[in-house]
Amino acid sequence: MSDNGDQPVDDEAGSSPGAGDDTQAEEKGISRRKLLARSVGVMSGAMAAAIGVPAVLYVTGPTREQAAIEKWIRLGSASSVETGTQTLMKATVEKRSGYLTETQELAVFVSTENGSDFVALSNVCTHLGCRVRWVENQNEFFCPCHNGVFAADGTVLAGPPPRPLDRFETKVEDGQIFIKEV
Amino acid sequence: MGTKIGDWIHERSGWREQYRALFLRKIPKINWLYTLGSATLVTMVIQIVTGILLTLYYVPDPQEAYASVSYITNDLPFGWLIRGLHHWGASAMVLLVILHMVRVIMYGAYKYPREFTWFTGVALLLLTFSFGFTGYLLPWDQRAYWATVVGTRIGEVTPVVGDSLRQIMLGGDEISGLTLTRFFGAHVWVLPSLLLLLVGIHLYLVIRNGITAVPKRGE
Repeated sequence: MSDNGDQPVDDEAGSSPGAGDDTQAEEKGISRRKLLARSVGVMSGAMAAAIGVPAVLYVTGPTREQAAIEKWIRLGSASSVETGTQTLMKATVEKRSGYLTETQELAVFVSTENGSDFVALSNVCTHLGCRVRWVENQNEFFCPCHNGVFAADGTVLAGPPPRPLDRFETKVEDGQIFIKEV
Repeated sequence: MGTKIGDWIHERSGWREQYRALFLRKIPKINWLYTLGSATLVTMVIQIVTGILLTLYYVPDPQEAYASVSYITNDLPFGWLIRGLHHWGASAMVLLVILHMVRVIMYGAYKYPREFTWFTGVALLLLTFSFGFTGYLLPWDQRAYWATVVGTRIGEVTPVVGDSLRQIMLGGDEISGLTLTRFFGAHVWVLPSLLLLLVGIHLYLVIRNGITAVPKRGE
């Protein structure tokens, strides 16, 4: 670039001739140059931290919001669930994201063996989040993304899913099925 | 450990020479007024960092802009700080860039061979004002709205091209959602691109030509 950059300037005789040259500095304890360099380093670090730490909290803020109250979501009439099969029930839930409230569609497979105890399985594949579908004649759930197969109770039969389908806590009130929001 | 990695990179990049040319270059005996340019540069870095952070939540939409700014300021952890730094940093940068310019004028530092550095500096001054003008609209409150009405009306009195200039700035005859999105686009893409390019040239020239000594009376 320019010929200015070859040697650092020494405005006082006897100070160390170059940065990174520690030999003289060690003799005298610490050189003026090194002290200044370190001070600049410490101050820069402090300023970076003063912005950096709040920045991390600011960026991760919405992910640390906790749902304050537990919520039960109404799926529909309990009488619509037949024994021996899976009934896909849908509900719209309101989700808060930041200052916005968005409605999301939630789909849950509901089954029962005796008409009074209900099992609610999430239709989200535990592998990578695709939606599973119920294959009636095979009596199993199938995920089309990577051929994951789940049994009627949600356990993994084949394919890559690492764990069974998620279960929702259920309750029945006035003939209506509710699941607990997670 | 640190020096070993430094050596390894140096062998492949020669960065130590660049570092010397940048930070250990020879300079004349100067005073504190010579730090105004660096201060402006630091303010610019703060504006870039806080500005990027603000875009993570800001929504340039007439329905959402004000609500998103309010969310940043009142609900997000340290949102008030990030926005506050950007707000006050903007004023500080305008102030510092003007003081820097005054120093250059008073010391005659714009003369040969530094005229080109001066030209890029003038362009950077105008860019800084443009940042201030476009950023002022983004909170989308009453003050922002009317300041933009006044600002674009001032632009309108430009001879010959005034009317077109105002329409191009607003994206129509009046302030609308289009004005908001184009001010946002200008503020976060167009102006920063130009700014980084010009700052790069400006700093190269400062290092290439070295800095001026304090002028002495009678010289």
